[in-house]
Amino acid sequence: MTEEKKPEEKKKRKTATEAAAKIGPMVKAMIADVLQARKEGKPIAYTFICCCYDEIVRAMDIVPAWTENYAGICGAKRDAQRFLERAESEGFSRSLCTYALCGLGFDAWREQLGEMPPDAPWGGQARPDVMLGSGQILCDPRNKWYQAAQHYIPDVPVYAVGLPWPPYESDYDYREVQDYYVKYIVEELRGLVAFLERHTGRKMDWDRLSELVDLTDRTWNLIWETYELRRAIPSPMGTGDAMNTMVPIVFMMATQQAYDFFKELNEELRHKIANKEGEVPDEKYRLMWGGGLPAWFALNDFNYFNSKGAVFPVETTYRTVEAVYNFDIDLSKISDPLEHIAWRWVKFWTYWYDKARKRPGSHPDVERLIQYIEDYKIDGIVMHEAFSCRTWHVGLIWQLNRLKKIYRDIPSLILESDIVDISSYNEADTRARIDAFIDTLEAVKSKGK
Amino acid sequence: MIHIAGVDIGSAFSKAVIMAENKIIAYQVKPSGGNYRLTAEQVTKGALTKAKLSLKDIDYVVATGYGAANVPFSREAVSDISCLARGVHYLFPTARTAIDIGGQFTRVFKLDKRGRATAFLLSEKCAAGSGRFLQVIAKVLQIDLKDIGELSLKSRNRVDFNTGCAVFAESEAISRIAEGAAKEDILAGLHRALAAKVQAMVERLGIEPDCALVGGGAKDIGLVRSIEESLACRLLTPDEPQIVAALGAALIAGEKAAAIKASR
Ligand code: SF4
Repeated sequence: MTEEKKPEEKKKRKTATEAAAKIGPMVKAMIADVLQARKEGKPIAYTFICCCYDEIVRAMDIVPAWTENYAGICGAKRDAQRFLERAESEGFSRSLCTYALCGLGFDAWREQLGEMPPDAPWGGQARPDVMLGSGQILCDPRNKWYQAAQHYIPDVPVYAVGLPWPPYESDYDYREVQDYYVKYIVEELRGLVAFLERHTGRKMDWDRLSELVDLTDRTWNLIWETYELRRAIPSPMGTGDAMNTMVPIVFMMATQQAYDFFKELNEELRHKIANKEGEVPDEKYRLMWGGGLPAWFALNDFNYFNSKGAVFPVETTYRTVEAVYNFDIDLSKISDPLEHIAWRWVKFWTYWYDKARKRPGSHPDVERLIQYIEDYKIDGIVMHEAFSCRTWHVGLIWQLNRLKKIYRDIPSLILESDIVDISSYNEADTRARIDAFIDTLEAVKSKGK
Repeated sequence: MIHIAGVDIGSAFSKAVIMAENKIIAYQVKPSGGNYRLTAEQVTKGALTKAKLSLKDIDYVVATGYGAANVPFSREAVSDISCLARGVHYLFPTARTAIDIGGQFTRVFKLDKRGRATAFLLSEKCAAGSGRFLQVIAKVLQIDLKDIGELSLKSRNRVDFNTGCAVFAESEAISRIAEGAAKEDILAGLHRALAAKVQAMVERLGIEPDCALVGGGAKDIGLVRSIEESLACRLLTPDEPQIVAALGAALIAGEKAAAIKASR
């Protein structure tokens, strides 16, 4: 029976920074906190990353259970297959987002048993009181996953918060419409607060919300400044570690813990830079992780790149913050915290619009790649097409083509597998591609020599 | 005299090339089977016997291909793209783009004037993008793989396939046979489908003449013509297209052996 299959855990990836090595226990504690909250009867919300409700949920003392995170943990522990198979046997297609499939399989199993599935990774994912989806980007799971979960937990209500941003047009300044977008998002967030008050019995503490909004601004600035330190040659930290340090960014925002974590990482990176301590002893190639969620079960591939002298000083994935002082609006002047959140959201997603409009044929996503190539002195781009997440993977090839057309031809590699579904991954094939890519980088670098 | 060897353990076929003084003196090709280590020994031994040499006469061995880790007597493993590029450059110094149609993958790459790959693309992990596609259909049509090319050139009424998937193409081929379609027309249709996949990859990478076609797929004249038609260009094809990666591995082995000799 598939339910008894318990695959071996993959050997832990070696991190370059001490801070990144602390993430594992932090995530474990976070999952334990949710389980403890369940025991204590505190309200729990199923939540998605990048939905800008972090401060709202925390100000109301509701405990977020990050469902993408839990699926990622199952993937990283190479223990997702049994949940995927469960979802499949429930009638869900295997071509859906495997985070969603893993979560649905888990929920179905937990609800059927009335307790956690056997040997659930890190104790399991607790039953929620509310589920907070969102309507944004191409991600249909944000809208549909929790509705589908209601098959198993029909008593748990869903709120899908609308979070649009103005679309990019090369011949149109989005500022003409930005106020409408902000107004709409504020209404959606007010609706969310009312929903949470109604279903959890918690009251919004508006002063606390303002404090957390301010803390979040400061954390965004600190993260941006910390990641900018990775421009150093040799680079002190790579994407492999950033796939750990994304945890405070997307799962712990609006907490002092996230701020303190980045304070510590910032100091560690400064120390490494002062001592010329790079991620690898002999840095030969500087690569950008130019898009795509990682294969959580194969993070060791980053070490494989490292073994070839390749480092990743920058990535677009999970870099979901900018320094708010770089926005063309002074957020500190906005007194309403919900309005503040809405403006931060709109300004983040439109951050590259002006730059793109200045370069004919460009696009904000491509402009971002160009800026990172220049700022971080990048030799090549690696992307990952995770077959089950259309949201982040649609357009990657288009971006590379565009980059070539409007900027320059830069070596690139597209890896293929999935975020969670290990059956899509072939280590020998992946490593052969990496070897070939390193050879092409060398050929391009030594051109003319 | 320095003797060198390149061993390419591919997913379908394994090849060994022995060289001396920048010339091929012997080579061997055999199906890979299930035991890569044994195949590596056998295919190398086969080539050595033809060259009237033994392994101890060889100064440097480079392995490549899917099973490169299973060649215990090699000094190092080099990526297949690098070996292919070196092999193509040796055979066709003017080639700047090359297509390799292998048993598991199709690779398209660009190479510079020194025979180094500067960019590459691999087909998706899907049988429809590689030589495997043709193997599947040859079995269905009960014809020998080596006869596919010539037979397909006789086609007068190409069957166009509705699918790019090898599994569906197999069942589509079966139903077309039942409807009375000629084998050559089915084969021509399959060549067209594979050529379209190759064309998409080449266009993504950007074609730069001259363009070479290597790998087992290049033995199929029908496929060669179909790709030429799609790309609207003549393709350079070697007499023995299957050994190009092994040849490149041997050339790299030669460079290494020469460097060692020079450093002494
Ligand atoms: S963004 Fe992708 S991986 Fe995340 S929930 Fe949406 S579809 Fe799934």
